Amino acid sequence: MKKVKTNSPSKGIWVFGDYRHYFQNRVTLQLIAKAKTLAQRLGAEVTVVVLGEQVHQYAMEYVAHGADVVMVVDHPSLKNFQVETYSRLVAALVEDYRPEVFLAGATPFGREFFPRLAKRLKTGLSTDCIALEIDAETQFLLQTTPAFGGELLAEVITENHRPQMATVHPGVFEERIHGSRAVGRIIYPEVDIHPDERVQLVCSRPEQSKKGYLENAAVVIVGGRGIGSGEQFQSLFDLAELLQGEVGATRPAVHAGLTGEDRLLGQTGKSVKPRLLITVGTSGALQYTTGIQGSETIIAINRDAQAPIFEIADLGLVGDAHSILTLLVEKLRKRL
Amino acid sequence: MIKHRESLISAYHNYLVNNMLSPGFFVGDPHSQDDFYFLADIMLPEEAIPPISARLFDRQGLLLLELKRNNLAENPGHCTLETTPGGFRIVCRSDELLLEVNTQRFANGYLTRIKTQLYDGSNILRIEPLHEGVQVYGQACLALDAPFEFHKR
Repeated sequence: MKKVKTNSPSKGIWVFGDYRHYFQNRVTLQLIAKAKTLAQRLGAEVTVVVLGEQVHQYAMEYVAHGADVVMVVDHPSLKNFQVETYSRLVAALVEDYRPEVFLAGATPFGREFFPRLAKRLKTGLSTDCIALEIDAETQFLLQTTPAFGGELLAEVITENHRPQMATVHPGVFEERIHGSRAVGRIIYPEVDIHPDERVQLVCSRPEQSKKGYLENAAVVIVGGRGIGSGEQFQSLFDLAELLQGEVGATRPAVHAGLTGEDRLLGQTGKSVKPRLLITVGTSGALQYTTGIQGSETIIAINRDAQAPIFEIADLGLVGDAHSILTLLVEKLRKRL
Repeated sequence: MIKHRESLISAYHNYLVNNMLSPGFFVGDPHSQDDFYFLADIMLPEEAIPPISARLFDRQGLLLLELKRNNLAENPGHCTLETTPGGFRIVCRSDELLLEVNTQRFANGYLTRIKTQLYDGSNILRIEPLHEGVQVYGQACLALDAPFEFHKR
């Protein structure tokens, strides 16, 4: 039997403003949109917490995308995302303002920052959620996340501790349309900012890979362990080039060294929503399919007719991946 | 309780005042017929230039100029209004910079920084530079929630 929540002193839904690579990484905007829906059910406001230096533009963007309140801590020492300093500052804010729910994107920083924050706050954290809802009876946050190695989906509630914290993959939710006429409140808390001196940033440089290239691709070709060798995996790039798409991979394919971690899709990688996704030699494990579930059309190629991937595919081809790929590339080259 | 400062924020355009973003603000009484005021009004999405109105005095309490939505309506102090790539500036007859308005364009919005030091007719400091923006003193509204209407009192 579910417990009915009593008057909780906690209030509001918070979203962590992860604005790095803002125009490619839209997860904060996607979370604001979802938080708005959840907040309506709670009769609460959505607050986006932004730390950094010269973050005016992002504060305005978050308001344009639906934030009721933006809480800004603007200081030169917060220019770089430093997890220890950020955890300490945000924990102090949470303890003071006591939000009911706190969400963050499952970005590289979110994955490092949110577990530390949850530990400091002595509350629970559901990672890599694929759905969030408010229970109509208890008003608890229902956090749906793959569990037990992705074999099943668990619905998690944080019954006794606040805030209810969750991270969500980019691409799981849709962002709202930018609204230029939106007006919100902006709060500048006067927190004690002394950067953590145990960790000092010596230098930084941007990653060489193209940020957001997979998440924003209209066509994605995905290779799994079943594709075989690295040479055969290369044929995925030939197909992607012909279709002006990008190449992704499952965890087993990355583990086998067929490609790099930056192409990983699924629970611990990226989420994509292309118009067309061709998945080759992938069995269809839940931890992979959670990252492709928003695709408009899925074509699956696998030699095992019983593979679970065919259950979510719009079109299935049973056969040898290499033969089918070779044929497909040949045909396309003649047509294009 | 953690102390905090609070303002409004527009998704489209803001000024920096008292170390906060604000869609619009004024100092003094814009309705008055002859007193000092400075009004940085709300810029609407169909506009690209922040509308500034003001009645400004020199340190002796003499009227320098009256600005109405970026146009010099009165100019007994013989000041010069010059347009700049990011906005405009007003220079006194003595070549001293009186007011500089600079608007930065973002991908989807604007941020205006004002640089000035202004005294009212009684030679009391009302606005001075603070970091990127200004600090205001005395009677003021720091966050307008709608464009200022001069005929309403």
